[in-house]
Amino acid sequence: MNSLAKAEGHLNRCSKCGGCQAVCPLYRETKAEPYVARGKIFLLKNHLEGRLPLSSKMKEIMSLCLLCKACVSQCPNSIPVDRLILEARREIAREKGISFVKKNVFQHLLKNNGRLNLAAQLGYFYQQTGLQWLVRKSQILKLFGGELAQKESLFPVMARRPFRRQVPRHFTSPRPKLRVAYYTGCLTNYLYPATGHAVINVLRNHELEILIPEQWCCGIPALASGDEKTAAELARKNVEAFQKAGADAVITDCASCGSMLKEYTDLLNTPEAKAFTAKVLDFSQFLSEAVSFHAGEIEIPRLATYHDPCHLKRGQGVSDAPRRLINMVPGLTFKEMKESDRCCGAAGSFNLTYHNLATKIGRRKVENIRQTGADFVITGCPSCIMQLRHVLELEKSPIQVLHIAELLSMTYSSGKVSKRN
Amino acid sequence: MLHSSLINKMKQIVGKENVLTAVEERLCYGYDSTPEACLPDLVVRPDRTEQIQKIIKLANLHLFPVIPRGAGTGLSGGSLPVKGGIVLDLTRMDRILEIDEENLVAVVEPGVVTVHLQEEVERRGLFYPPDPASLKTSTIGGNVAECAGGPRAFKYGVTRDYVLGLEVVTPTGEILKTGGKTVKSVTGYDLIRLYTGSEGTLGIITKIFLRLIPKPETKRTMMAVYERLDDAAKTVTLIIKQGIIPVTLELMDDLTIRCVENYLRIGLPLDAEAILIIEVDGPADLVKKQTSQVAEICQSGGAREIKIAENEKEREEIWAARRAVSAAVVQIKPTKISEDIAVPRSQIPNMVRRLKEIASRYNLNLVIFGHAGDGNLHPNILCDQNDPEEMERVEKAVGELFQAAVELGGTLSGEHGIGIMKAPYLQLETGDVGYEVMWAIKKTLDPNNILNPGKIFRSGRNE
Repeated sequence: MNSLAKAEGHLNRCSKCGGCQAVCPLYRETKAEPYVARGKIFLLKNHLEGRLPLSSKMKEIMSLCLLCKACVSQCPNSIPVDRLILEARREIAREKGISFVKKNVFQHLLKNNGRLNLAAQLGYFYQQTGLQWLVRKSQILKLFGGELAQKESLFPVMARRPFRRQVPRHFTSPRPKLRVAYYTGCLTNYLYPATGHAVINVLRNHELEILIPEQWCCGIPALASGDEKTAAELARKNVEAFQKAGADAVITDCASCGSMLKEYTDLLNTPEAKAFTAKVLDFSQFLSEAVSFHAGEIEIPRLATYHDPCHLKRGQGVSDAPRRLINMVPGLTFKEMKESDRCCGAAGSFNLTYHNLATKIGRRKVENIRQTGADFVITGCPSCIMQLRHVLELEKSPIQVLHIAELLSMTYSSGKVSKRN
Repeated sequence: MLHSSLINKMKQIVGKENVLTAVEERLCYGYDSTPEACLPDLVVRPDRTEQIQKIIKLANLHLFPVIPRGAGTGLSGGSLPVKGGIVLDLTRMDRILEIDEENLVAVVEPGVVTVHLQEEVERRGLFYPPDPASLKTSTIGGNVAECAGGPRAFKYGVTRDYVLGLEVVTPTGEILKTGGKTVKSVTGYDLIRLYTGSEGTLGIITKIFLRLIPKPETKRTMMAVYERLDDAAKTVTLIIKQGIIPVTLELMDDLTIRCVENYLRIGLPLDAEAILIIEVDGPADLVKKQTSQVAEICQSGGAREIKIAENEKEREEIWAARRAVSAAVVQIKPTKISEDIAVPRSQIPNMVRRLKEIASRYNLNLVIFGHAGDGNLHPNILCDQNDPEEMERVEKAVGELFQAAVELGGTLSGEHGIGIMKAPYLQLETGDVGYEVMWAIKKTLDPNNILNPGKIFRSGRNE
């Protein structure tokens, strides 16, 4: 019996009430019933009962899910829709295989930090040598049709050197209260080193010993595409590396990585994984709950709003902590946006595969942000940051997107470790 | 399957991206919120009245069924393509065309989601009261076609009380306009009432004029716990006798209470026979006065415990219990046969007794909850679809509970419609003459039986 079949009990609990339709960001933009949870559940049920093969149409429908869990929190019968979709994708990957590109990325690139660093260097080279300028200027990508030209602009400037090569692996403190290990995530490492520096700066203001162990991709891109084998392999490597580091807590600045790290127990089912998972905390959760957080003294007299990453609010149940922290920033005014927990459309690589649809979803989010009149939109996931910056740029909006670590870091005097008042 | 030349014509009418042919897509337009499902031959997604008109003309030429569909949250099988044909998905027609604040009228397309209209009018200090449980998903078009109700119906009425005018594509492809922005209108037969609740069998509704009212200033919610169901029923009558019309008066029976408590763990009393959830609304001073009056009446009516919500959080907690019912009751058994009989208010205790007697005679799990103010009860039988012997008992029990409702001066369906689920029983209530009149209307307006065949009338009749 495959694991999808094991999920049959969940499928049978769907009463087709349609509650999921009301909250599904994809439905809001497409009005297409197959993309809604109850549609997908109905199709999977038909498949398990032998009436429907795993066709390429099925593959397409199952890939059209943000895994944002909005339907899960709405479902009166608490059906874990996102897990069912992952099972379906895994089943489809097993039967039909995954794309050549994805296979190579997952099985060769993600498992090998050397190659990944090299790829990032090539990206940096592409952007810095004028090659990007040439490509954009010549509009050569338009020849390839589709949305390639727009997708290309989704990518921010690559880091010159990966973040983990820019900082020491160990920060000591005269009287460390805790020893924390920092899981940087790939996006911070390769695209947003500034977030990483901000995380370190904030942590260093709280008398902590900080470790940055050797680490690998959390595995979520592979898992989301149905490649559980690669995901499990990456999980094992990370668990082993962090176990060696021997920290009191493992913190991460990425909502998606964080939710994946917390899944390791289920994925690996080993005592080591369990011990590791128990230590994982989101950056904002850690500051709010594990230490007595104090902001710096620099005032930020601006208006900010907050976007709840799906993988932070519904994935990890963290939504109060970041708000508490934001409200402690001196001089800052906070204003909630409408639908703050609605998916921004990033959803891992969804915005690459379905750029137009993701941008539509992003535009709704940006409209809600705009209505607050905010100068900053704060969030806790680099993947959301990439999407929000991209859509804000398309809309020619001056609103700045900041990781919560960047906001907090700005309050301490010029990057120095401030003394507590 | 429809001929490919016909599919091409559909693509010419609505654009090829709005014609769904893949079986995976068609399957998702063949179900609603009942346990049933069918496979349509094609799904077509028009966004203009003229497109619908062309499709209906083609249907009359080539004789294929057309089934209008909103959000697919019906509870009687109204949108199921039981005879195949084309499912006409109307969700793309989702524009609020006008909110006329001077005349208190909203003009909308059928695909507007009920809650979206409500939010839009409430922002202007106005109110559209009908509140079917699925209002966050359901469409106004579907609400009109099924004449949806909801908990607020006792005070504010049901969908039909708010429909002032309609634009309809008739079963032969003509455009009918009836009513408009006036509250009064007695020009000829009342076609608006005919179409409201016609379940997609007499026309495709393409534009709707809805009456709005000023939004009540405030509301207050309370919960009363009873050791005896009769006392709860008596309280309902007492409240109304005092001249108070609460906006909602929801009843939950003993088994429902136990299921909800087991599900939510919010401290509901497991030995109580009934709980009433009462909400009053209106001007603030009146609401304050009525809240204490209602509490007193509950007390003197034998309530063991009364909880008045002091803030929004407590109000939410009370409603959470009611909202959890649907999910909570399936713990007993997976299949839920959900009925919605209505009886005159005074007959509620009798109806509840009859329901319990039927359930125990057929050895079935039955929970009762519903809108006590308007006598609309939702007896739900919890059973297992995969147990044919049990399902046979269910069928017999359902027949008897309809019989009981009619005998007590009630009706088969308060707000879900007949569809396919209650079609075999319709004549119980209408009698032969009523049934023949209805059939004559259908036959005359839809001579080729194009629109939503297999619904309302029992099989053999409408095929």
